[in-house]
Amino acid sequence: MLEVADLARRYGDVVALDGLSFTVEPGQLFGFVGPNGAGKTTTMRIILGVLEPDAGEVRWRGQPVDLATRARFGYMPEERGLYPKMRVRDQLPYFASLHGLSAADAGAAAEKWLERLGIADRAADRVETLSLGNQQRVQLGVALVHEPELLVLDEPFSGLDPVGVDVLSGVLRGLADEGVPVLFSSHQLELVERLCESVAIVKDGQLVAAGRVDELRSRGARAPTVRVAVRDAGEEWIAGVPGAEVVDRGPDGVLLALRDGAGPEAVLDAARGAGTVTHFALERPTLSELFRQAVAA
Amino acid sequence: MSGLQGREAIALVARREVTQKLREKSFLISMGVTVTIIVLVAVVPALLGAGGPTTFTLGTTDATSAQIAANAKRAPGFDVELDVRSMSPAEAKQAIDDGSVDAVLSGEALRAKEEPDDQLVGIVQAAAREVRQAQALRRAGVRGAELQAALNPPALKVTTVEPVDPERDRKGAFAFVAVLVLYTQLLTYGYLLASGVVEEKSSRVVEVLLSTIRPKDLLAGKIIGLGLLGFGQLVVMTGVGLLAATLSGALDVTGEVVGAAALALGWFVLGYAFYSGLFACAGALVPRQEELQASMTPLTMLILISFFVSFIVLDDPDGTLAHVTSFIPFSAPITMPPRIALGEAPAYEIVIAFVVTLAGALALIPLAGRIYSGAVLRTGSAIKVRDAWRATKTGAESRA
Repeated sequence: MLEVADLARRYGDVVALDGLSFTVEPGQLFGFVGPNGAGKTTTMRIILGVLEPDAGEVRWRGQPVDLATRARFGYMPEERGLYPKMRVRDQLPYFASLHGLSAADAGAAAEKWLERLGIADRAADRVETLSLGNQQRVQLGVALVHEPELLVLDEPFSGLDPVGVDVLSGVLRGLADEGVPVLFSSHQLELVERLCESVAIVKDGQLVAAGRVDELRSRGARAPTVRVAVRDAGEEWIAGVPGAEVVDRGPDGVLLALRDGAGPEAVLDAARGAGTVTHFALERPTLSELFRQAVAA
Repeated sequence: MSGLQGREAIALVARREVTQKLREKSFLISMGVTVTIIVLVAVVPALLGAGGPTTFTLGTTDATSAQIAANAKRAPGFDVELDVRSMSPAEAKQAIDDGSVDAVLSGEALRAKEEPDDQLVGIVQAAAREVRQAQALRRAGVRGAELQAALNPPALKVTTVEPVDPERDRKGAFAFVAVLVLYTQLLTYGYLLASGVVEEKSSRVVEVLLSTIRPKDLLAGKIIGLGLLGFGQLVVMTGVGLLAATLSGALDVTGEVVGAAALALGWFVLGYAFYSGLFACAGALVPRQEELQASMTPLTMLILISFFVSFIVLDDPDGTLAHVTSFIPFSAPITMPPRIALGEAPAYEIVIAFVVTLAGALALIPLAGRIYSGAVLRTGSAIKVRDAWRATKTGAESRA
């Protein structure tokens, strides 16, 4: 379990982190979201020990993280993070050695991961000659080559095509299933919602919301919402349901927020009275909606 | 699997620096070119006969001129050979125009296409004076032994208080090459180091590196790796140069020369120790290679100034400037070696200069390490030294 506790960090007069705390459970895919400048990269750098926090602490399995512990973490920074002129097959063993593997183990691990990530045929190439997708695979290889106990990735999906997204999702899912917690930041909220068990939403260096995605979505709505479509009817019938209010209109019908004790049954009854009901569903807010709410607040 | 000890991390980083550079074609090519140039510098002057006598071609158009030329040819004390050709005035004009003679002597005049060499003018003037004096003395009735005595007064005997070094010119050439090589090598390796730092920074590799090793170990590994490479390259260059110079006869490789060469190598190590940390900082302060030139400028200026001063030192190795700059850490690595090569630096001065420069380097390294650590993760725009300094300070305080 990774615990981030009360992290604070300033750059000169700019406050990057202001008492940020959250927890990543073993085997979890953990999404880290927030607007640009919210402090995501700073947090990840502090977890990896690349930056020192001004205050607060990072704990791994209950112990404060030191250099020896970090050797067992894997990290993929945003964009590149590789030596552009170094050949792929030199790059992976080098990083494996820096993580403490012997030369022989480093070579074997590099070979294994190049094979697993499907880039063994590019091993003799210099990184700068590879496509972006392949560079990202090498980067992932660098983060994984020493079989880390925790994986931290900064914007790993940015710039990937849909196939690349699927490949990377599969690899991360597989790692989480093996029990390795995976923390990654992303602006692709649908992807985070689909992939992650838990998220943390940060803004201005502070935690806005954190927890399991489904719980957040259930909790997140200020009022229960229901989407209803009635064939050949306007919206006049809605006035007959006290407490129901239109919050959105879409191809699947109107979205109603139910306040003052209004129940979905009353809505359904009123709708059936107005015409043929073609769509009726209780809706929970998506992560995107939660994010917008949280960030706007 | 656990964290690396500092020394292991430094060794891994240093080894990568060396092996990656040795795999780069551009590095191997530049190395080949440098060695070739050094061989040429050592061999070509000997092949061209530099250091031997200079040969001039002198045309004469009449008997008196011929006699003057003959006297000039016999003149002692100059390292000049004279090829005398007798010709008609018309031929002489033609020969001057097409450059087949350096000058033509006829009657009272020495004619040439361009201003003739001072040495040539000097010996012809002296010979002309001699011949005219002989003619005048004969007309005045001076004959025989008296005439010989009047025409050949005993030569002045030259004595010096300090012993004259017969190898002075060759040592000068050696000292010059040493200055040139040290200057080039310091600049080259300073630049390689700085651009390597920028490469890691702009590609964000540095973040991955610093998640496993400490900034000071990364910096030390890079400095040591490139330093070893630069030192190895210098050893090869020195060895090849001395060998070529020996084979071509341009230089007698005595124990003294080998000693001076070894000391020059030592000065590279010192100079590199002094400058490398600063170059690493220059790299750490900027986000892109394009901005590196600007941030390195103060350092390249220091090296360039030392380089220019070394020419004055070569000319006057015992002068005030030579003494002063030998004891300033930033200039000593370039201005002291030529003094040593010329045999003009007393042992105690060498020791003091060595200690002062080493002390300067030792004082700078921790400062450079702090600026490097504070700057190397700041992406985006160029960073002020002061901000980099403070960045690490806050980190250090929170750790305490």
